[in-house]
Amino acid sequence: MIQTITDIYLPRQAKVEQIVVENSQISTFVLAFSDQQFNEAFRYQPGQFMMVSMPHCGEAPISISSTPTRPGTIHLSVRRAGHLTAAMHELKPGDTIGLRGPFGRPFPMEQLRNQDLLFVAGGIGLAPLRAVINACLDQRERFGSLTVLYGSRTPSDIAFQADHAQWRQQGVTCRLTVDAAEAGWDGPVGLVTGLLDGLTPELNRSIALICGPPLMFRAVLNRLSAMGFSDEQVLTTMERHMKCGVGVCRHCHMDGKLACVDGPVFSLAELRHLKIMELAD
Amino acid sequence: MPHASAMADSHLLKKDHLKGFLRKLAKEYRLVAPVRNRHGDVLFSEINDLDTAKIELGEPPQNSLKQFLLPQQEQLYTYMVTPEGYDFSPTRTTIPPTVYFGVHSCDLSAVLYMDVVFSRRQRDPFYLRRRHGSVLIGINCNTPSPNCFCNATGSGPFVEMGSDLQLTDLGDRFLVETGRAPGQALVQRWQRFFSSPTDKDREARYQAFLEARGRFTRQVHVEQAIRRLTTDTVPEEVWEELSLRCQDCGGCAYLCPTCTCFTINDQQLDATSGLRLRSWDACTFRGFTAMAGGHNPVQPKTGAIRQRFQHKLRDDVRLNGRPSCVGCGRCVGACFGGTDIVRFVDRACQGIL
Repeated sequence: MIQTITDIYLPRQAKVEQIVVENSQISTFVLAFSDQQFNEAFRYQPGQFMMVSMPHCGEAPISISSTPTRPGTIHLSVRRAGHLTAAMHELKPGDTIGLRGPFGRPFPMEQLRNQDLLFVAGGIGLAPLRAVINACLDQRERFGSLTVLYGSRTPSDIAFQADHAQWRQQGVTCRLTVDAAEAGWDGPVGLVTGLLDGLTPELNRSIALICGPPLMFRAVLNRLSAMGFSDEQVLTTMERHMKCGVGVCRHCHMDGKLACVDGPVFSLAELRHLKIMELAD
Repeated sequence: MPHASAMADSHLLKKDHLKGFLRKLAKEYRLVAPVRNRHGDVLFSEINDLDTAKIELGEPPQNSLKQFLLPQQEQLYTYMVTPEGYDFSPTRTTIPPTVYFGVHSCDLSAVLYMDVVFSRRQRDPFYLRRRHGSVLIGINCNTPSPNCFCNATGSGPFVEMGSDLQLTDLGDRFLVETGRAPGQALVQRWQRFFSSPTDKDREARYQAFLEARGRFTRQVHVEQAIRRLTTDTVPEEVWEELSLRCQDCGGCAYLCPTCTCFTINDQQLDATSGLRLRSWDACTFRGFTAMAGGHNPVQPKTGAIRQRFQHKLRDDVRLNGRPSCVGCGRCVGACFGGTDIVRFVDRACQGIL
């Protein structure tokens, strides 16, 4: 009986099939498990994450930016942040990394059904939301209107540009803003909250999904609440340091909850009960 | 009710027969027990020579069983980086089935807690492989030490369940109660070492329990502290004071039989290979929650110390119905900053007692 325990810490080999450079700091790695049979059977849900192994670097949690409705590969969009992600940015197609997962509580796709969805993201924060947006587009009739508001530092920092073009073509309202303009930029300049101006969501059928740096997160929450969104109508995904991914090592503690198993997706209503930095005054 | 024992059956083991019994066990098991070493310290140790080992049951060992079930550092995998791939092979150390003898009630409760931690959500293969086939022989505590407060955490001085065999020291003999099936099997197999207890022996056990209960020198109001934590009424200055006093040494977590937080790291051996290691970690360390790039989501002033006590006395109570502090008092003796759990409980309850 003891022999039958699945080894929850054992990474599986995955091959880098393609690398999409999103900006100078973010790349999307398109990956497939080397074990073809396993790759075909692999399932996950939007909002879940993988533990990524890089040689001599240990592991780090990375949210999945692809969509289960498009099986065959997994996308991990990674910003250069520490030594593991820096090593990932040295990868070339054909290289092998280690993966285990998927882990974590996903976005409640059933709850999103028939709702107008408002996605608000900053920087790399669009990665986990991209999984939801593409899932909605692949089952278009199940969801209401889709709006994406995305903030970047400068126009050259705007990531996922191919996605934005695709989303617009498919009828998504996709609005971008930058903190600082560069030559040739004629779009809005300022915080992503500015993009909420003039939006008139139907509050009885809307859900907002937010992901971005803490300052942006708080500003957006305040705006949404002023617009009339209830805490139940706001969903987000939390970023924490993790070692195990399965609720044991406790590095991702959040005032009694663990981001890896209780999250990373939370409703704002759930987060309001917790003393966490993102909601501190 | 401690005297209305939940244990299935009771037997008598004369102290003269103890070594004989252990000798039989040592033939088939690795034997670990509290042993007084040549420096005078009592430590849970593997016993290779029963004739010379000084088994000490009256004094709590400085270490707990944590290091045997969750080693301070353990190798999970070796990895190889080759042109063909990046391959991990699990490290399969053979762990002999082990008898843990003379386990005090606090440490026994701690093992039961670790069993939950490492199998509640996911089954942890490395822990469970070590735990599998082990036999726990507990000893009820007749003489709690000055720092002990298991009476306030519901984990002693006497326990009614969880061990395979549970001993009570009655002077020249042990009353042995059988708990789980492996314990019953041991007694049956080595019947000749045991005799039948009389009502007098059972009465003596109850008497020992009453006396032990009266020997605690500390009054630690764990229940009140739990209430303060669950109602979020621990004064802010308590957290600030304890944070200030904590020297970030991790000694409490090192000694704590229920501190099971760990980290996983790679140790590079050469350009193409290395080890993946799991090691003890401590939530009071500054870097415990630091993310890549240095950002730390835990409030720098008091966040870490809050986590330590909230986890043990609030979050685990919510999850398991009981605190994960077992009242062993090890952190009380070790903490030179005065930030141990008893200090927390005292400070948290100040003004309401």
